[in-house]
Amino acid sequence: MTMILLIEQVLNGLQFGVMLFVMAAGLTLVFGVMGLINLAHGSLYMVGAFAAATVAGLTGSFLLALAASLAAAAAAGALVEIVVIRRLYARDHLDQVLATFALILIFSEGTRWLFGSFPLFLDVPSWLSGPVELPGGILYPAYRLAIIGVGLAVAVGLWALITRTRMGIRIRAGESDREMIAALGVDISKLYTVVFALGAGLAGLAGALVGAIQSVQVGMGEPVLILAFVVIVIGGIGSIKGALVASLLVGLTDTLGGVLLPSLFAQVMERSSAMLVGSSLASMLIYILMAVVLVVRPSGLYGVRS
Amino acid sequence: MGEPVLSLRDVCKTFGALRASDAVSLDLREGEIHALIGPNGAGKSTLIAQIAGSLRPDSGSIHFEGRDVTHLGPSARARLGLGRSFQISAVVPDFTVAQNILLAVQAQAGRSYGMWRRAARLGAEQVADCAERVGLVDRLGIAASDIAHGERRRLEIAMALAMRPKAFILDEPMAGMGVEGVSVMTDLLGPLRHQAPILLVEHDMQAVFALADRISVLVYGRIIATGSVADIRNDPEVRRAYLGEEA
Amino acid sequence: MMAEKHLNWLIAGLLLAIPVGAWLLGEIYTVTLATRVVVLALAGVGLNLALGSGGLISLGHAAFFGVGGYAMGILASHAQSYQPLMDWPFLIEGTKSMPVIWLVAMISGALSALAIGALSLRTSGVYFIMITLAFGQMFYYFAISWPAYGGEDGLSIYVRNGFPGLNTLQPIQFFGLCYVLLIAALLVCARINASPFGLALNAVRQSAQRVETVGLSPRRLRLTAFVISGAITALAGALFADLSRFVSPTMFSWQMSGEIMVFVILGGVGRLYGPVIGAALFIMLEHWLGGVSDYWQLFLGVLLLGVVLFARGGLIGALARREAGHG
Repeated sequence: MTMILLIEQVLNGLQFGVMLFVMAAGLTLVFGVMGLINLAHGSLYMVGAFAAATVAGLTGSFLLALAASLAAAAAAGALVEIVVIRRLYARDHLDQVLATFALILIFSEGTRWLFGSFPLFLDVPSWLSGPVELPGGILYPAYRLAIIGVGLAVAVGLWALITRTRMGIRIRAGESDREMIAALGVDISKLYTVVFALGAGLAGLAGALVGAIQSVQVGMGEPVLILAFVVIVIGGIGSIKGALVASLLVGLTDTLGGVLLPSLFAQVMERSSAMLVGSSLASMLIYILMAVVLVVRPSGLYGVRS
Repeated sequence: MGEPVLSLRDVCKTFGALRASDAVSLDLREGEIHALIGPNGAGKSTLIAQIAGSLRPDSGSIHFEGRDVTHLGPSARARLGLGRSFQISAVVPDFTVAQNILLAVQAQAGRSYGMWRRAARLGAEQVADCAERVGLVDRLGIAASDIAHGERRRLEIAMALAMRPKAFILDEPMAGMGVEGVSVMTDLLGPLRHQAPILLVEHDMQAVFALADRISVLVYGRIIATGSVADIRNDPEVRRAYLGEEA
Repeated sequence: MMAEKHLNWLIAGLLLAIPVGAWLLGEIYTVTLATRVVVLALAGVGLNLALGSGGLISLGHAAFFGVGGYAMGILASHAQSYQPLMDWPFLIEGTKSMPVIWLVAMISGALSALAIGALSLRTSGVYFIMITLAFGQMFYYFAISWPAYGGEDGLSIYVRNGFPGLNTLQPIQFFGLCYVLLIAALLVCARINASPFGLALNAVRQSAQRVETVGLSPRRLRLTAFVISGAITALAGALFADLSRFVSPTMFSWQMSGEIMVFVILGGVGRLYGPVIGAALFIMLEHWLGGVSDYWQLFLGVLLLGVVLFARGGLIGALARREAGHG
């Protein structure tokens, strides 16, 4: 394992991690402010990716496609919030799980109906498709660096939103005491719709960005959703900082684990078994990490509840 | 007389800058009703939570029947004989009155993991007995969420009774009750002290003065006075702390 | 509106009468469909114990379904290739005997549930939901990456396993076997719900604080229910694998977890026969709606949404009277 390869994998891990963060941030925000668990978050990721692919196909502009992904996902989120989600705030978690699971079915099959079962293609824009030379002579895809950049920008943006704006104050207040802020005259419905749409928009953006390096197809969102849940469990629900730390941790663990574990096992067993054991273990690594955190800190690293 | 059944020594609990419990020392003796009173925000709920085991004190100790229970959780303390009722009734809403009491009866008998025989048949007699002692015999088949507020408070007492406790911790059993309800509850609780001593948190002063053998006054997390009803009524510090309260 | 007990007998009766009638008429496909209903219902019965009685929103129950399926797949594949599972330190050979497979499946399911439960039940609420989902996913990825038993492609078992005295290849006989197991499981669950443990478990679901006050440990009660639930769902997995004669990682998928939960909800969560009527409804929708449109799951989603928002008691809630108190 050369140094160059290692750094490459670390960067890949970071890229994976920041995208997870963008997903998890929306989820944890919705849960923190509205107390709602939303399984359909992955569907919004998918909507963003499909919107981007469609617009990119029509206009050829990647930037327009990204804007479309944000807008489409946010709009879908707002629509869903108004029609379905707001009936769920007062309900128990089981109802929320079931209703949002139903939304997954509706979104997935609906998308399949509109677009068919074959994946769509979203191309990395030509102005980002080359490699960038990093200090040390390492060549790394510009696009992936851009993703890392966008992810970090989202983190900073969210931080600024929450700590420096009026909306942020309302969000933080809502997180601690829902009834109180309603009593104080804040328009709860509007706040909730905005928060939900914000989370949705972020998910859509993540979907579009990742869609260019993987593929855009029905069902792409759910595996990411589940990983976002792992991130939230590790980081602590309701904590954006926790989500950032945990998502980078998860991203790095998964990427590096997948690369390092087989080689590690190759030291002690013969090659083919090492590959076997190593990659199987690597596939479970994140969950093992989650299990360890659960044992040591049941409410997550930065968990708000005790 | 011997050892007190329950004793707290220098129990402290702080939440950030707030000292909810400030070196609280208290004991509960055999055969007595010991009332704990204090203005709102004095820290009574926090103290009760620490006694019951749902909150761990930062320092100090809690002894029950001679054992150090400071580090035991609520279910362990319940098994040792600490019976409790809640400020906001915690009964099982979809269960009938009988099923609620049965839950306590079978737990006390250690039967809660039996999976074969019918639960209802195994404790019917004790259930009826406990229900009778609190006057709920004719409500046995009604769902707990459908009975009156006062009846629900009595149900909690019945459940505490079913545990055959060595001490009762009752958190505002009269809360939300009208004059008649308070009277019924007072008649119920009085004789109970001979079965097991009662630590009674209450706001209703009439009931407190009618029932209590001793009273402790909690203000800003500190016990400012402990004594008989007469002592407390005449204590100048207590009167000062209770501005606006009829004493 | 009828009493729930009578509704249950009606369901059990129809579930037997329809496939038997179909068999007598030579309609073998209906028998196979009914077997699917029975097996999926059994999976739901397992979940219902944890979810309906215990209030545990386990979104990863497919983990146990898959464990049961793979228990069958591993044992049967070693039997059909005449290779033992293990030579050292013990000789463990494969087997194609259903009773043995079922026992292994149930024990494996119970052990998996013990492991997952011990970790997950340290949390509650949304954490628990997310963690169970995550663990299900972990099993899924592991199954995909373990090539010895097919990996992503899955494993075919060419001949159905055997049960002493029966010709299990005959659809009606295999149906009968599964039906008996389902009814047995339902009887066991009914017994459990009426027992002291059932009382305590249902109490935990509604008021964990109250349960602590009577000296019980909510976590221990929940874990016990979770383990039994895992064993039952694992048995269903083994039967399912035998029905399809195929085992694949999709048995572990989140979609499968979701489906099992859908059966339970459609029928009425917490109702004894809820999973049965829910599974029947699901299979009927899959069969009829699926014949009409490839996108039938969209309508399933709308139906589910409707049930959750407007008809919380599920089908049984709509058809049966509600009695005071539990079970």
